Amino acid sequence: MIKDTRKILLFLISFLFLLISCLPFHSAWGGEELRIADSAGDWGYPNPFRHYPRGPGYVRMSFIFDTLIWKNNNGFIPALAESWNYNPSDMTFTFHLNSNAKWHDGKPVTGEDVAFTVEYFRTHPYRFIKIADIEDVQPEDGNTVVFRLSTPYAPFLSIIGASMPILPKHIWETVEKPEVYDDPKAFVGSGPYLFGDFDKTKGTYLYRAFVDYYLGCPKVDRLIYIRSANPLLSLTSGEADLANIRPEMAKHLAKKGMTVISDEHGWVKKLMVNHKKWPLSETRFRKALAYAINQSEIIEKSHRGFASPASYGLLSVDHEMYNPAVPTYPYNPAKSIQLLESLGFTKNQSGMFQKNGKELKLELLCSTITAAGENVADRDGEVIKNQLQHIGIEIELIHMERTTADVHIKKWDFDLALSGHGGITGDPVIMNQMILSSYGGGSVNSSRYDENRQLNEILEKSVSEMDHKKRTELVYEAQMIYATELPSIALYYPHAFSAYNPEKSVHWFYTKGGMATGIPISQNKTALIR
Amino acid sequence: MKHNIFNVLIINRWFVFGIILAVLLVIVFTAGAWFSRYDPYNASFSPLSPPSARHWLGVNDGGMDIFSELMYAVRNTVLFGVLSAAAALALGIFAGLTAAWKGGLTGNILMRLSEVIMSVPPVMIMIIVASFMRPSAVTLAFTLSLVSWPTTAKAIRSQALALRERMHVRAARDMGGTSSYIIVRHLLPELFPLYLIGFIAKLRMAVFMEASLAFLGLFDPARKSIGSMIRYALQYYYLDVWLNWLIPPVVCFSLIIMSITFLAISLEEVFDPRLKEI
Amino acid sequence: MKMEGKELRIKTFLSHNTRRIMTYLIAAFLLILLGYYLPRVLPGDYVTAMYSQSQAIITEEEEAWLKAEYADKESFCEYIIALVTLDWGYSLVFSEPVSDLIFSALPWTLFLLGSAHLLAMIIGFIAGVEAAWRRGPLEKLSVGLMTFLEGAPEIATGILLLFIFALVLGWFPAAGGETAYAGYGMFRWGLDVLYHTILPFITLFFAYLPGNFLLARGSMIVILKSPFLKTAYAKGLPSLRVRYGHGARNALLPVVTRFGLRFSFMLTGALVVETIFSYPGLGTLLFKSIALRDLPLIQAIVLFSSLLVLTVNIALEICYRFLDPRVRNET
Repeated sequence: MIKDTRKILLFLISFLFLLISCLPFHSAWGGEELRIADSAGDWGYPNPFRHYPRGPGYVRMSFIFDTLIWKNNNGFIPALAESWNYNPSDMTFTFHLNSNAKWHDGKPVTGEDVAFTVEYFRTHPYRFIKIADIEDVQPEDGNTVVFRLSTPYAPFLSIIGASMPILPKHIWETVEKPEVYDDPKAFVGSGPYLFGDFDKTKGTYLYRAFVDYYLGCPKVDRLIYIRSANPLLSLTSGEADLANIRPEMAKHLAKKGMTVISDEHGWVKKLMVNHKKWPLSETRFRKALAYAINQSEIIEKSHRGFASPASYGLLSVDHEMYNPAVPTYPYNPAKSIQLLESLGFTKNQSGMFQKNGKELKLELLCSTITAAGENVADRDGEVIKNQLQHIGIEIELIHMERTTADVHIKKWDFDLALSGHGGITGDPVIMNQMILSSYGGGSVNSSRYDENRQLNEILEKSVSEMDHKKRTELVYEAQMIYATELPSIALYYPHAFSAYNPEKSVHWFYTKGGMATGIPISQNKTALIR
Repeated sequence: MKHNIFNVLIINRWFVFGIILAVLLVIVFTAGAWFSRYDPYNASFSPLSPPSARHWLGVNDGGMDIFSELMYAVRNTVLFGVLSAAAALALGIFAGLTAAWKGGLTGNILMRLSEVIMSVPPVMIMIIVASFMRPSAVTLAFTLSLVSWPTTAKAIRSQALALRERMHVRAARDMGGTSSYIIVRHLLPELFPLYLIGFIAKLRMAVFMEASLAFLGLFDPARKSIGSMIRYALQYYYLDVWLNWLIPPVVCFSLIIMSITFLAISLEEVFDPRLKEI
Repeated sequence: MKMEGKELRIKTFLSHNTRRIMTYLIAAFLLILLGYYLPRVLPGDYVTAMYSQSQAIITEEEEAWLKAEYADKESFCEYIIALVTLDWGYSLVFSEPVSDLIFSALPWTLFLLGSAHLLAMIIGFIAGVEAAWRRGPLEKLSVGLMTFLEGAPEIATGILLLFIFALVLGWFPAAGGETAYAGYGMFRWGLDVLYHTILPFITLFFAYLPGNFLLARGSMIVILKSPFLKTAYAKGLPSLRVRYGHGARNALLPVVTRFGLRFSFMLTGALVVETIFSYPGLGTLLFKSIALRDLPLIQAIVLFSSLLVLTVNIALEICYRFLDPRVRNET
């Protein structure tokens, strides 16, 4: 027996040595390749009809499908369209397409394709874009296409021009059910990368460079997404060249020679308030809440300082139309208590507020539970609970799974809820979407606050105001009203970082205002263009 | 009956190990809860600070004292296990005895039901219930007992059937003892070793399940549990939190499982191996 | 004569088993019922899960339209018929047949779980038998060690292995099942997969090994005392044959039974290990489908894993009946 054991041990050890001698397991691929680590992995097949309607899904699609224009840090840049202009007299946008633009199967990209795309999206909607205001699209000659609007639409360039992926007419015109169309041709686009593979079990994507890309062959031959729950480990071990990282990792990675980049304040965490329910329907009560909440304490406690206090006017402080004059609610418990007392609340023996013998008690919904933890759990709920209880409002903290909480919020079955969204550095139409139910009623982050007629009118007007300066004035005013009425209370902008390996000589960046409709991800494809 | 069992057990070394470990753990955690000066929900300390005289295990990301947190977490995890195990045992005894005594249709239905339940992986049910319904920990403990009773019921039934045919029980029956008399006087007490074995096995399973589910993030994240502590700490794996934040709950969890396991093994060794439960 | 006996045996086997088969059929039916209704009573739906936090902000009308599109229209009867015709439905998230998704994730789970299980069973069994055969200090040590290991949960071993071998020493990868798109040949790919599997495998292996070892040893000790072994020895049969041919055969039964009974419970540990090492498999798929309320997929995974447990149990029961002469001759 002992001899047997020895033999087995020897065998095992030699096997281990054999394994280790094969290390490190770097790719056998010879050419240039770049790997991006992602904690969730799978975001759907990268075409407009099958990617998840989330930022990362859009980004994976954007490598294959180009839009008319695109964004980098200087604003709009040419993509399929070399130049464009707006004619206010007949409300038309004219785009001149790049004559070198080709589909991945070699056919040229024409105005016909653009016109077809809009028509196709009318019957098979793509939720990232809003095309209701387009009257019609006419291809003029081979390389020019004219969009005629039915009403002026200020967000046109960002919501359609820089967001709408153009589809090849010759492939999609015969497709009836794009959601289940899984022919390889469904991934023929005009972008810098060809679709290689998507493995839904492992959450990996493979793209190959499109040699005939109209802006020149991209820098890296193979682009790969891998799933990794440990971005730091993946970066330092060379498994990945780019990853989103947590703030505390930045120092360590910078020491290891990685380049760390940080985003502008493009994502806001806010406290949703059920303004349809007394006493939360009282503006004064909401103000009392705002005074009782200490933004910087949340940032200190829950985020160890890696966040910035948010503007109460919803638009980001980094937005070019941010109104620096919006009202603020610096932490002031005395003022908060005073406001509550003015509403008829009095303190009972235990120091908590009550009215007509009924204790003031609110439920605070938190939703950090996601199965297997895609989200990083934070402690915001616990901090806010302490703050509100401190001034005398009894809070019951309820943790819920994400979608369950969303259902409650959508049904107005809550008092307070923590939620957050991006897009606040993108087109100001985000204000309409996050305030008015007619724009964003399907989103759980929208306050769906239609009570203030003046705010409604201003927001409506701002969308159809094509003049930049006039639009800015309207947006300024909307922020003022929003911050006075407080349909929801903005809390903070968390700091977002990613790190990349500079040796690959691809310099990633966070796009100003976010990619397309405002996606705050550092994987902008222009970084890969020579 | 009972002191007999103890006499047999006390000479088994795994039992001694297990009991000593269990008693030590109880003492440490009772004393610890008494010693921990802070409310585990008090988030007013500077986050991620290393161990110090004031905070023996440092402070976590949310500014809470890790030592106090650990004391609460252990208590919650073990209570969950005890609750769920006791409920499963009660259900198992009830179903097992009913099936053995009544037999016939009732018995058949009960046993088929237990087979059906045994073929569903409990973790699937737990994940679905936990992630969608936001139940309290108590509800979850009972849910777990609802899917974990069948093994106990089966063991008790087969043993009760054998016991029914033994001389003294037969005699009691022949002398006109009522069912309830025989069940209460003979079956219930004489199956005592099985309860111990069943309880310990269920306890181990429930503690394990609680920690796993909390680790997977399926419990209320504000609830202190060994699993959720490990989960939070693991998010900061790249910092120097291993020794003071991650390892303590891992070690505590292992010690708890070990002491339960030692007890389970000793019970199985001492009693008829055929009574063995998994 | 011989033929008759065999036929008789099969007949009695079948008649004895009609009840069991019925039980299993009822169990399967109840599982299908459960798989159908459980996900349906849960709050939230696919459209809310997918769009309410989405970057693509939709209006109420668009939401209503989508909800109608993805509404679940299948009745229980239709579901049963679809199941019987092996149509497990389309995943809402991937718009792909659910069976494709399960079968692309299953090999990973089976590979990890299966190899850990089997090796733990075989090695645990042999070691247990040997330990019982040659008692001594080595045996005492191994029993102590194994009992100690039996008390170490997967979370603890997994995390310690991850820390030591992936983080500190950097010998093994911390995540994934293979190097993505590395373009290896068959051999290197195989090695690569093994290399990625080592840490999760060891975690599970050491979780399963002690139970098998202790059980095999325990039963073997009892068997060694029985008279038939002494007879076999007295007949002068070679020791190895007595040990395995006569003795260990009987010690195999409880080990096999244990496998069946513990199988469903062991899935918990496997999910934890999959999570710690970001290993692909059914667990990851299940979490995703729950988070996104992909009803057909949740339904299918719950049903599939339950049926898997059921199948393993039936298979084991049959093995058991043919392995154990006592059970075979019962009735």
